[in-house]
Amino acid sequence: MSTEYIILIAGFVFGFYMAWNIGANDVANSMASSVGAKAITVRQAIVIASILNLIGAAFIGSHVTDTIRKGIVSNEILNDPHIAFVGALAALLSAALWVSFATWKSMPVSTTHSIVGAMIGFGIIAGGFKAIQWGKLTSVILSWIISPALSIIISFIMFSIIKRLIISRNDSFDRALKLSPFFVGISIFIVVLSFLFKTPLGNTLSIGTPMAVLIAILIAVLIGYIAKFFLKRVKKNISGDNGEGIFRYIQVGTACYVALAQGANDVANAIAPLAVIYFFVNTGTVGDQVPVPFFLLLFGGVGIALGIMMAGRRVMETLGTKITHLSNSRGFCVEFAAATTVLVASKLGLPVSTTHAAVGGVLGVGMARGMEALNLRLVYEIVFYWLLTLPAAAFTCMAIYKILQFILQRM
Amino acid sequence: MRIPFLSLFMSSPFDGLQEHAEKVRECAWAFQQAVECHVENKCKSFEELRQEVIRLEREADIIKRRIRGHLPKGTIMPVDKFQLFMYLREQDAVLDAVEDVLDWISYRVEPGIPEELSKDFFLFVDSTIDPIEELSKMVAEARKYFESFSDKQREVVKEIIRNLRHQEHEADKIEHMLKQKIFNMEMDPVTVFHMIRLTEIIGSVSDHAENAGDMMRAMIAK
Repeated sequence: MSTEYIILIAGFVFGFYMAWNIGANDVANSMASSVGAKAITVRQAIVIASILNLIGAAFIGSHVTDTIRKGIVSNEILNDPHIAFVGALAALLSAALWVSFATWKSMPVSTTHSIVGAMIGFGIIAGGFKAIQWGKLTSVILSWIISPALSIIISFIMFSIIKRLIISRNDSFDRALKLSPFFVGISIFIVVLSFLFKTPLGNTLSIGTPMAVLIAILIAVLIGYIAKFFLKRVKKNISGDNGEGIFRYIQVGTACYVALAQGANDVANAIAPLAVIYFFVNTGTVGDQVPVPFFLLLFGGVGIALGIMMAGRRVMETLGTKITHLSNSRGFCVEFAAATTVLVASKLGLPVSTTHAAVGGVLGVGMARGMEALNLRLVYEIVFYWLLTLPAAAFTCMAIYKILQFILQRM
Repeated sequence: MRIPFLSLFMSSPFDGLQEHAEKVRECAWAFQQAVECHVENKCKSFEELRQEVIRLEREADIIKRRIRGHLPKGTIMPVDKFQLFMYLREQDAVLDAVEDVLDWISYRVEPGIPEELSKDFFLFVDSTIDPIEELSKMVAEARKYFESFSDKQREVVKEIIRNLRHQEHEADKIEHMLKQKIFNMEMDPVTVFHMIRLTEIIGSVSDHAENAGDMMRAMIAK
């Protein structure tokens, strides 16, 4: 068997491992508000998360990937495709190592940041500092600040609206019911748009932007009213006469929304380097952009789903017992903000962390006075590990790259 | 496991506030029994009841310290941290005042309260029991307000605060009346001093309850 196939197999193994890790750890962060607010049980969370992460990964996940994630590293070093090929494996390996270490030490690091850090390390070792496109890197790093901020703003506005128009009113149940098509509608609108833009499905249908928006609006309005029709059957006396009962049901929908967005966004972390290796083995070249075949996205989705099923239960059970005092209206705001932020960012091609978007969502509700007590220390911790992840993953990647090169020269 | 999401949520200080208010409410009964026991002058269980109040006060103190010690810088809450502390201080002062009353009595159990004043003393103590018990209800209703932010719920809390104010006013009237009577009785000066001071401390119980209400009013301000 040639070296290339060995590397391809190694790529599959580590790509799968990364996907598994996303499923085992990161999914809990996005499903936490649903489980914490008791909108869904742990078992339901696992079913919803595994199925919808798979769908999100396979159907919304970007089917074209920049060779070196988001063009952080200049294309010159790609003149020798062999370098890119070894680099992709080194990046995958080092990110996997760093994420395992973080999981072992319970450090709040992001899978997304790890892979970007590893890519930077590869760029520096292969092409020197001049190979790093600092402008692009800055915009990626900015997106890591902007995305939680966006999430905070969305959830702050959403909770303020809900507070003003629904839960503070005497007839909050009826008001929640009346506005439910609106809440369901915007989620559906964004989901449909994500399906139509930059996916194989969207390409086959070849619909223009105005048409896509129109279709999304129509579907959103339709599903919004269908949802209202079903919510009407929720008996007032069962759910109590406040609006929370309505949000409890809507939250089942937002849990799906989050899972879908997460699958679409995070699959690239595991699959992008693998796609480079796969493309090189098949064609012997590496371009600026590499197509990601459907089966690779599916492979990543299956990895995530398996991670959820094998390790997700324990994590989510911890969440369910530790997070109390999270009402359904608040859980809805958190999830809506997180999923919207992630889906929009992922469609713009920005590698953002789902976990950070979820944390932003909680902070937004807290700033609108919706939470009894939130610990801001986590924010400092996240920033600290964020600053640590980049060099840690980068240095690991450099070392692994050198070792791989050394081994491959001997073979 | 790395679940950053989890460390965002911390145990709510309102849980502690509620627990503390429950301790205050629990002591109301023992307080009433103890003072009545003293006034009736033939009761033996005063010391037991006083110990019960001291125990509750100690437990409440632990809760108070726990709340104060577990709100790090940058905690996001629906109320200002120091408003919460000020409220807690007043709620705790109610319990302290109750303990002070029983301590003061214990310094000079004999000769007790003259018969002609016993009725007024019963009335006076009863007037402070309601404010003590009202506090835990106020905390529970305020929590509901922070859950829904509804004007209706806000009005419920405000009504309790108004009640506290009213009850304090009533207790004040009895206090004045009692003091007048005590000074106009032919008694030895030490007994007069003991009884005047006793009246003042009992009066301070509802004062602190009213203050707690005012602090709560600041917390639920829009």
